[in-house]
Amino acid sequence: MNNFLLLKTLLLSTSKRNIYKYSKDKKKRSKIIGAYIGMFFLYAMLMGYCVLMCVGYAKMGMLDSVPVLCALIVSIMAFILTMLKTNGYLFNFKEYDMLMALPFEARTVAGCKFLYMYLKSLAAQFSMSVAMLIGYAICAKPGIITYVYWIMLSLFLPVIPMLMASFIGFLFAKISAGFKFKNAVQTVLTFILCIICFSIRYIIEAFVENDQVADILEKSSQATEKTASIYLPAKWFSEAVLKDSLSDVFLLMGVSILLFAVIFYIVGGSYRQINSALKSHTASKNYKMTTLKKHSVENAIAFKEFKRMTGSTIYLTNAAFGEVLVTLLGVITLIIGFDKIVSVVTQGAPFDASIIQPAIPFVVYFFVGMVATTACTPSLEGKNRWILSSLPINEKTIAHGKMLFNMYLTVPFMTFSILCLCISAKVPVIDSLLYLIEGFVMCAFSTTWGYVCGIKHMRLDWENEVEVVKQSSAVVLYMFPNMFAGMIIGALTVILGMMFNHCLITLILIILIALLAFICYRASMRMVSKK
Amino acid sequence: MEEKKVLEIKHYSKSYAEGKKAADDVSITVMAGDIVGFIGHNGAGKSTTIRAVVGVLDFTEGEIFIDGHSVKDEAIECKKVTAYIPDNPDLYENLTGIQYLNFVADVFNIDVVSREERIKKYADLFEITDSLGDLISSYSHGMKQKVAIISALIHEPKLLVLDEPFVGLDPKASFTLKEIMHEMCKRGTAIFFSTHVLDVAEKLCNKVVIIKHGKIIASGTMDELTEGHSLEEVFLEAYGDE
Repeated sequence: MNNFLLLKTLLLSTSKRNIYKYSKDKKKRSKIIGAYIGMFFLYAMLMGYCVLMCVGYAKMGMLDSVPVLCALIVSIMAFILTMLKTNGYLFNFKEYDMLMALPFEARTVAGCKFLYMYLKSLAAQFSMSVAMLIGYAICAKPGIITYVYWIMLSLFLPVIPMLMASFIGFLFAKISAGFKFKNAVQTVLTFILCIICFSIRYIIEAFVENDQVADILEKSSQATEKTASIYLPAKWFSEAVLKDSLSDVFLLMGVSILLFAVIFYIVGGSYRQINSALKSHTASKNYKMTTLKKHSVENAIAFKEFKRMTGSTIYLTNAAFGEVLVTLLGVITLIIGFDKIVSVVTQGAPFDASIIQPAIPFVVYFFVGMVATTACTPSLEGKNRWILSSLPINEKTIAHGKMLFNMYLTVPFMTFSILCLCISAKVPVIDSLLYLIEGFVMCAFSTTWGYVCGIKHMRLDWENEVEVVKQSSAVVLYMFPNMFAGMIIGALTVILGMMFNHCLITLILIILIALLAFICYRASMRMVSKK
Repeated sequence: MEEKKVLEIKHYSKSYAEGKKAADDVSITVMAGDIVGFIGHNGAGKSTTIRAVVGVLDFTEGEIFIDGHSVKDEAIECKKVTAYIPDNPDLYENLTGIQYLNFVADVFNIDVVSREERIKKYADLFEITDSLGDLISSYSHGMKQKVAIISALIHEPKLLVLDEPFVGLDPKASFTLKEIMHEMCKRGTAIFFSTHVLDVAEKLCNKVVIIKHGKIIASGTMDELTEGHSLEEVFLEAYGDE
């Protein structure tokens, strides 16, 4: 009984509907409506993409791979996203003291926190799965039982990967709890695991490549099938919907429920101990007063932002993940060569690697600009907003400090990676310089656009950092248009570069992006003036 | 008054990963009807001890019993008879005050009539009845503190544990809380609270425990400890030249 009560309250406490119903703030209420409309379009886009992908698979004669593909996409998404937010949801959460002082078993609290995390992410995963069912149904015209199994199992598909990610998060928390620098240990472990996840496709392909299959599509299909043979829940899902296999339906549902019970029996056992360790901070009390350095106000705010980021595993893993990936990309490219990297990405397709050189800044920006700290940082101030607000500095100076931090974070990584890629691809010096300038203006755009989104959808009354860093309207508004526009412009640069002088195109893009960055900067300054 | 041990802390110690001790061999007994003030400077180990008592903080050395139940082995039984008010209550900001109080009442399985009666009584006393329908995010710190206090009183606990309860409360609310504490004490509730306000402790408590660097350096009834001096003088003397 108490399990459902806690779960219900957790959901209610972050429900936009509840805020809309009881808030008297008209602005807040209209923002909620805006967020619902935005989410509707986002889901519509996501579902449209999934349907089209299935239709594409059918056209290539790989319709039977769609269920496995659906299971794998949902599972990988569930695993990675859970991995990145377990720390904030299961451990180290704000209301820990309040909840643990109530008569709840530690297992109940941990289990409810997991179910809450599952239900909050179910909408995205379920909509993807249903969209793929629609795509599959258009082409395969299956019987009614396929629809029933597919929809029913879509609810269970994310459970096992989420449980695995949560258990790994639990192990990371347990390991790091024994260290002085708990956050750093947890962050490094999370980064390592996420990098492995991102490389898994290539690891699997390395196993498949033995017979030197030339056909790219066949290789993709093989990789998918191979993954399914390793990851059994994907196989059970596929068998259940393709062969109407009831035993596979029960297998997927049964294993999900059993695993949940086992994992939360284990997690519950040391839940209080881990949280106690994670929430404990000892003071060394050995500081000796020394000469202090003076910084400009903007730099002081930027430093504060840096400490805010490194003090939170959730924030750090999300904000700096792109930077870590892009550094790895740069180093690996230097070691194995630009052409080889292009060959791996294009799966050995006959392709002149030099024609994609103009896209180098966009490839780097895809990682570096994935998340802008400026989109989260206004909201992350939360209850501490009074500190900056009560200081004798205006909002513009605060904005400059926050923007400066994002530039400090992105520009060095962008420069390093572009240089690595340019050296490896033997890009001429003038072109390399242009790519560096292009990368710089893109960082400036990311910073200012992020701040516009961050200020426009600032939300200070959050319960958990995950709500700001991963699920806020500001982050969604920043990320998706930025990512899609970056990819489209990158592709256009390559195509136009084949027809016209690519230096000229890069130069035009530099001017356009700089102009956009300037417009966003002006908009953000206008917005902070009104605050 | 019934002489019954409600809270018994026996040789409790809490060490951190680096081997430093936040609490070192702490032993405290709180009887039914006692109001025990727990005083010490910042970082002395008050909150660490309090959080262990209410089952929030894990500990390995020593034992803590509430109403005869072990906090380690029978955590739920202990929590059923305990109420805790942290120094800075983190409540669910996006629930209304009444939704939060109803949640706590549900957790303690309080019948509808009793919960309505108690919420109304205490909300009226703290003068926040009109605001209970608003989101907690719109409350001031003091109002949140009042909601946390009401939530702690809903199930009529045998042990009330408070960490700096008067911080953020207006003078009227502070007075009301002190009155409620007296009333509960008369009914046999044991109250254990930390405070820096020595005047309040002196007027409110019948027993005092002083903690320094994780160790209890003085404890006893108010009369035994003060012997005609003020609590402030006793406290400063106990802390020596610090």
